[in-house]
Amino acid sequence: MSRGNLLISAILWSVVALFVIYPLSFLVIESFKIAGTDRYGLQNYIDFFKDPYYLKTFGNTLLLGVLVLATTTLVGLPLAYILARYRLRGKVLFTALILLPIVLPAYAGAFALIVFFGKMGTVNLLLMDWGVVSKPINFVFGLHGLVFIQSLHLLPFIVLSLSAGFTNIDPSLEEAAEVEGAGGFKRFLTVTLPLTSPNYLAGAVIVFLWPFTDWLTPLIFGQVDFLPSISYINIAYHFTDMHRKYMGIVSVVVSSVVCVGIFLVSKVWVERKKYTALSKGTTLEGRIIDPGILTKVSAYVYMFFIAILVLLIPVVLGLSAFSRRWVLQPFPSYWTLDNFRLIFLETPLLLKNSFLFSGVALFLGVAFGLPAAYLITRTKVPGKNTLDFVITLMLAFPGIAVGVSYLLAFWEGIPIATHWIIMPLSLFVRRLPYFLRMAHASYLQLDVSLEEASEISGASKFRTFFNISLPLLLKGVFVGLVMFFIMAFQEISTAIFLYRGGWETLPIGVYLNWHRGMEFGIAGAMAFLMIVIIFILLLIVARIGGGILGAAWGSSGGRY
Amino acid sequence: MAFIKIENLLKKFGNMVAVNHIYLEIQKGEMLTLLGPSGCGKTTTLRCIAGLEKPDDGDVLIDGQPMFSQGFVPPSQREIGMVFQNYAVWPHLRVFDNVAYGLKIQKFPRHVIKEKVMEALESVGLTGLGRRYPGQLSGGQQQRVALARALVRNPKVLLLDEPLSNLDAKLRERMRFEIKSLVRRMHMTSVYVTHDQAEAMVMSDRIAVMEAGNIVQVGVPEEIYKKPANRFVADFIGTTNFIPGEIAEVPKGRELVYIQTEFGEKMLCRVFDSETAVPNQKVYISIRPEDVEVFTKPPDGRDNLFKGIIQHRAYLGNFLNFFVNVDSTMIRVQVAYDVRQKEGEELFLFLDPEKCIALT
Repeated sequence: MSRGNLLISAILWSVVALFVIYPLSFLVIESFKIAGTDRYGLQNYIDFFKDPYYLKTFGNTLLLGVLVLATTTLVGLPLAYILARYRLRGKVLFTALILLPIVLPAYAGAFALIVFFGKMGTVNLLLMDWGVVSKPINFVFGLHGLVFIQSLHLLPFIVLSLSAGFTNIDPSLEEAAEVEGAGGFKRFLTVTLPLTSPNYLAGAVIVFLWPFTDWLTPLIFGQVDFLPSISYINIAYHFTDMHRKYMGIVSVVVSSVVCVGIFLVSKVWVERKKYTALSKGTTLEGRIIDPGILTKVSAYVYMFFIAILVLLIPVVLGLSAFSRRWVLQPFPSYWTLDNFRLIFLETPLLLKNSFLFSGVALFLGVAFGLPAAYLITRTKVPGKNTLDFVITLMLAFPGIAVGVSYLLAFWEGIPIATHWIIMPLSLFVRRLPYFLRMAHASYLQLDVSLEEASEISGASKFRTFFNISLPLLLKGVFVGLVMFFIMAFQEISTAIFLYRGGWETLPIGVYLNWHRGMEFGIAGAMAFLMIVIIFILLLIVARIGGGILGAAWGSSGGRY
Repeated sequence: MAFIKIENLLKKFGNMVAVNHIYLEIQKGEMLTLLGPSGCGKTTTLRCIAGLEKPDDGDVLIDGQPMFSQGFVPPSQREIGMVFQNYAVWPHLRVFDNVAYGLKIQKFPRHVIKEKVMEALESVGLTGLGRRYPGQLSGGQQQRVALARALVRNPKVLLLDEPLSNLDAKLRERMRFEIKSLVRRMHMTSVYVTHDQAEAMVMSDRIAVMEAGNIVQVGVPEEIYKKPANRFVADFIGTTNFIPGEIAEVPKGRELVYIQTEFGEKMLCRVFDSETAVPNQKVYISIRPEDVEVFTKPPDGRDNLFKGIIQHRAYLGNFLNFFVNVDSTMIRVQVAYDVRQKEGEELFLFLDPEKCIALT
């Protein structure tokens, strides 16, 4: 045990204590406070669970989670199988398109759907023009619309985890089933699907818990009876009504408990399953099947259908970004750059803030994530597993919990909330586990002997880190870095609680413009701008990840 | 005085004792191999010499200087070269920079570095490949880069951790001789770790056989093969037959003893270890397949002559293998000449007393 490692451990723990444990425990303690007194008790929780309204809200949220999970699973299962197993032209392009919603903000998708499918949206207007219907059909407002948009947003998580599962299965396991007489569908049900279940569960948890996190999409669709939405409304608008405020806080705590609980149960289950499903000798791309002509055509039709739904989001936002007065007509007719002029001339601050906050968050993420990953993979410092565990738990905490707890804890106790640094800080804490996981994964791929060889050659530990470890790790975490940046760039659920005048980011700008009288043009233009920036970042990842760096690292047979 | 001295070395991982209080001395310019099955502690011992593991007890001295127990010298200060099992060639550095890495740390002038690297690359047969990235090299070539990197600083000691185990059989055989002649030419003191007994025999001046954290025998290859210290060594090095028995009689003034075996007959046998040579001691008689002589008709006046039935006959090109059933003990025999007897037929086996070794 070197003293250096202990020092790193101490620093990381103090960061976690100050920015994770302290605010979250502040939130929990606050939830036990009895309104108007200095006493603590269970009263808030009793009120919450006795009130039929909050119980209904709780039930609604659970129901939404189930419905979204069911929808994404039904739609995602065939899609994942197609992408993982069939040899098809243009698969890479389709994969990229279908995964696009992962980097698109959920609220951007919601706006686009309202413009396209809303009561006076493109589809309804066209249908009425053609005389198919006389009154507009309610496509999106209500539970079904929520299920639709959240499913579209979360589909990539299910598809990614399932196709990773399909790819990772040792082909010989399926071949053995076929040799034993279980052909086609039977083999799929008895061998393929069970072997995929740990992967599926990992994705399913993210999907199921999303409704406990996303407060904005329900609001856009005119729904408030969901836990995160009612928490937001209670805390952000009714801060003078003590009862509603505490109900909001209790809602946040209840959501968090549900999320963390389900997350932990699934984690334990996956660990157990993974152990039994362990298999060796998987090939690089798994089993690839040449589909028959009928399967091929169906697969293409299916992929096209989903790709078009996904593409609707940027296309509709683009149309509204470049037009004005797009009301009561199926397609815009007045084209203009006014929206962008407004953004660039009047509010360049939003752009500056977005880049500044995400950039600082990224810096903090690297400064924390790399040493943390080092500590967890390379040392035996006591408490490192606990550190790993606490950070991983942040994966399950709803963004709203981080936002509310920061608001409570850093306003009076430790007054950081008066400085803009609170914005990147909250982004950083929210995405902590993402970066740690990625750094961790690349540390695991970095063979220890590469570092040992450097020490043998006479290099100090410090020098080894900068000459050998860092350059090799950077490649591994590079994609992760950009993804972190993208996630931070579109973050709203935490930021909305903490921003003050002058700290607005692009996503907050989108929200405010929508909120202040349905100014779709400007909101659409901002959302479109975000998508363009995100898309450029993705291009950079693809370009650098596979190009220049590939020559130096990628060709070493995939060993490093 | 030994160049590398290991005294009472102990290394534990949790409760598991990886290296159990071993002693070892390696002379200057010698190539010593640590040989043993996986998990026997050979790699851990090597890593303790390198300083990549910190021992729990004992002393490690290199060139008379204490590396451990009086303080701990980190690997970067030990002036050693090491070739790793997976080569550990840095994928982000060109071949030249991989080899030059240690020299740059020592702050040699650039022209000296260039000269030394070129020389090292030439000595491993990689002239002209300095500008390549490791990813553009074959496994064998990466192996050579690792070797050049280990040798370029002219280290006090060269450590090799199963360096050939990732190569295919043909290349492995060639590299054995290449590494050996290169190391010889440089008069390099080296420690080689392998689980491949043939590799150990070819490459080493001396072999230290390890089992479960202990060194069970140290000696030149011939000694290890011909006078194994115990049953484990005899079994691990090459193939051998074991015949269980009990010492019946120890005649005075002779190296041979009589052993009562399952055949119901007494066998004459050598014993190297005087402690073993006591009546009623349970022993295993070891005889190598190639030491068994084969007769179709019983010759006269020989001890240790047994009749058996051929159970299997295997033709392997350069020799013949027989599995002969002698009183339901299976004896493996290897002959270099043609014996026409077929499976099911009789064969007389002469187990030369000079080559039968009683082991515990």
